[in-house]
Amino acid sequence: MDLALRALGAMGALAVATVLTWLLEPRLLSSAAEKGVAAPVGVRDEKHLAQNPDTWMYSAGPILAVLGVVFAVVVIPWGDRLVPRDLGIGVFYFIVVLDFVVLGLSLGGWGANVRDSVDVYYRGVAQLVAYVVPLGLAYIGAIMMAGSLSTQRIVEAQAGMWFVVLQPIGFVLYLVTGLMQAYRPPFLEPFSAFIGGGVFGSSSGGRAIGWRIAMSATLFLVAAMGAVLYLGGWRGPVLPGPVWMLIKTYGLMMLMVWGGARFRLLTAGRMLELSWKILTPVGLANVLVVGALILLGVGPT
Amino acid sequence: MIIDHYALVGLLALIGTGLALLLAAAYRPPVHVVREPAAWASYRFGYPVYALIFLSFDMEMIFMYPWAVVFADLGLEAFLDMLVFIAILSAGIAYAWKMGGLKWE
Amino acid sequence: MSVGAVAEWAAFVILAFIAVAGALGMATTMSMFRSGIFLMGSFIGVAGLFILLSADLLGLLQIMMYIGGMLVMILFMVLFSHDPGGSMMAGMEMSLVERLFSLGLSSGTAEMEHGDTGATGDMEAMGGAGGMAHEDMGDMGGMDGMDHGAAGDMAGMDHGDMDMSMTTPMKRYAAGLAVVVGAGLVALLVLRPAWPISSVTPDPESARVVGGLLMSKYMMAFESAGLLILVGIFGAVFLARPGRYPDQDARDEYVTADEPPPPIEEDAPPRGEGKKPAPAARSLSVLEAHVDEGDGD
Repeated sequence: MDLALRALGAMGALAVATVLTWLLEPRLLSSAAEKGVAAPVGVRDEKHLAQNPDTWMYSAGPILAVLGVVFAVVVIPWGDRLVPRDLGIGVFYFIVVLDFVVLGLSLGGWGANVRDSVDVYYRGVAQLVAYVVPLGLAYIGAIMMAGSLSTQRIVEAQAGMWFVVLQPIGFVLYLVTGLMQAYRPPFLEPFSAFIGGGVFGSSSGGRAIGWRIAMSATLFLVAAMGAVLYLGGWRGPVLPGPVWMLIKTYGLMMLMVWGGARFRLLTAGRMLELSWKILTPVGLANVLVVGALILLGVGPT
Repeated sequence: MIIDHYALVGLLALIGTGLALLLAAAYRPPVHVVREPAAWASYRFGYPVYALIFLSFDMEMIFMYPWAVVFADLGLEAFLDMLVFIAILSAGIAYAWKMGGLKWE
Repeated sequence: MSVGAVAEWAAFVILAFIAVAGALGMATTMSMFRSGIFLMGSFIGVAGLFILLSADLLGLLQIMMYIGGMLVMILFMVLFSHDPGGSMMAGMEMSLVERLFSLGLSSGTAEMEHGDTGATGDMEAMGGAGGMAHEDMGDMGGMDGMDHGAAGDMAGMDHGDMDMSMTTPMKRYAAGLAVVVGAGLVALLVLRPAWPISSVTPDPESARVVGGLLMSKYMMAFESAGLLILVGIFGAVFLARPGRYPDQDARDEYVTADEPPPPIEEDAPPRGEGKKPAPAARSLSVLEAHVDEGDGD
């Protein structure tokens, strides 16, 4: 059954990617840095709940977050015809389903009825408000040059030259907003120790594992989509497609995590300022620059 | 044909939900009830202006995605149309910035 | 293959159920936060219906708008309402529908692990049938809401005057009229002789089609939408202008006082020293009042 094979492939890819990221990420951060999401999961700790939590919302949080990443892995291409399903609007679908992770954070945070946890909702949505528009603008440059929303077409359009060379501004913009989307340093606030680890403080056991799976997979997916959009995806001379994809994804992930760890942690207010005063104008300018480049004939026809 | 594509998404929804429910039910740690005043109170968050501007720009992004797909085929005219659109919205951000709206309260 | 048709029908039933149940939940649940989430769930069900109709770009646009929009809207709801989590209302008398959609909230005085297994009620995108006892009657989900509302309101009316139910007390003729009109509309749908079937096949490249249309036929709408968005940004900045009172304490003082704030005092010319005494001094003696008036202005 074709459908079952595809589903199995998607879940398998997600499982491998999540495990690799879960193991790799704490090794990338120095021991003195604040770990945030990468901290070891307290499976046997007590969970801190108020007397009257909202049990539906609290339970629904990790489920929605995991659902978001399960949906998103459908459009990541691993090879020439190795994609669980090449949706016609692949990249747009990807952006939308990764919003489910933030939705899950909000529900899970609100449900525990503990100040630290409800703060995750406020700060997480602040970060969502900060990253969505510049992230979309970073995607739009690559979409313009490829002329399609499908991930396979975007990879094929980079047969001549990778988009990172043609759109360096867009690439840097993607690095920054991708880190914001993945809730990693320096954009760590909803998970920081300042609020007791956020949802990790108010959940443990199977739920905390669920959160960790969702966040690790989010980092992987952000890096993988960056590799697809800007680094040519699975294209490469000698090695097979999936190997190149892993190399590029983890290379980009290392770049993002190391680069992010250099900076001081930002608060939500500064994140919003950064996004709306700097990143969004840069993104809009990038769209115009890429448009001019295409009109001048640069890039794939 | 499009529906066939999303059949995979539907199947994965069921599988994913099932797995997540299994995980959540797998190990139930003890609950430590925290006795503090309830956190569900009327709370003044510091970013209402940012949130409203984000809603407006979300509407803008709706228009930019289909435009980006057809841009390469349509050339200069589409570029000028989007230039006008971006100019209108940049005027919005500039107005908000200068009027002191872009700050955390 | 018939599997495709059955799967499509099953998906339609599930999505329609989510859409209707979400709307019902939004109206009846005690928690404002859940109300927003149920509305989002309902619209995600509708987005699933769009995808079933091969409008995948529109479906995903709907999901994107409503996730972002509802999260922000719930923020504003929390800003303005007294009990956004519904914990205070959870212990009150409620009708059946409200109690169903407020399961999982507890008022905090009673048990702790209140239904930790209750994870079946959340709203997901395309799966997970809810645990409600009622089935859809045929392929119309619209009648369920009426029945629930009528049944629930009957229960709500029987309590005494401490009824904190949020459902409006039922007016029987209004409910009867609604049922008749609903039945009439549904009959129109079901008994229609022929549905027009379009010969246009859905294009897998939906973004390209939409983009082409935006650039040609709907250009004016596109640019006007930009202007409308600009006006929205103006409104947002206007709403955040600095208030009249310097800080919250000063504002509370004025808001909670019984008398209106003191009027704006212009620079009144001095009316002579005699008119300056405090009101208490006037009651000292009549003689002094005469003396004061004698001084003149």
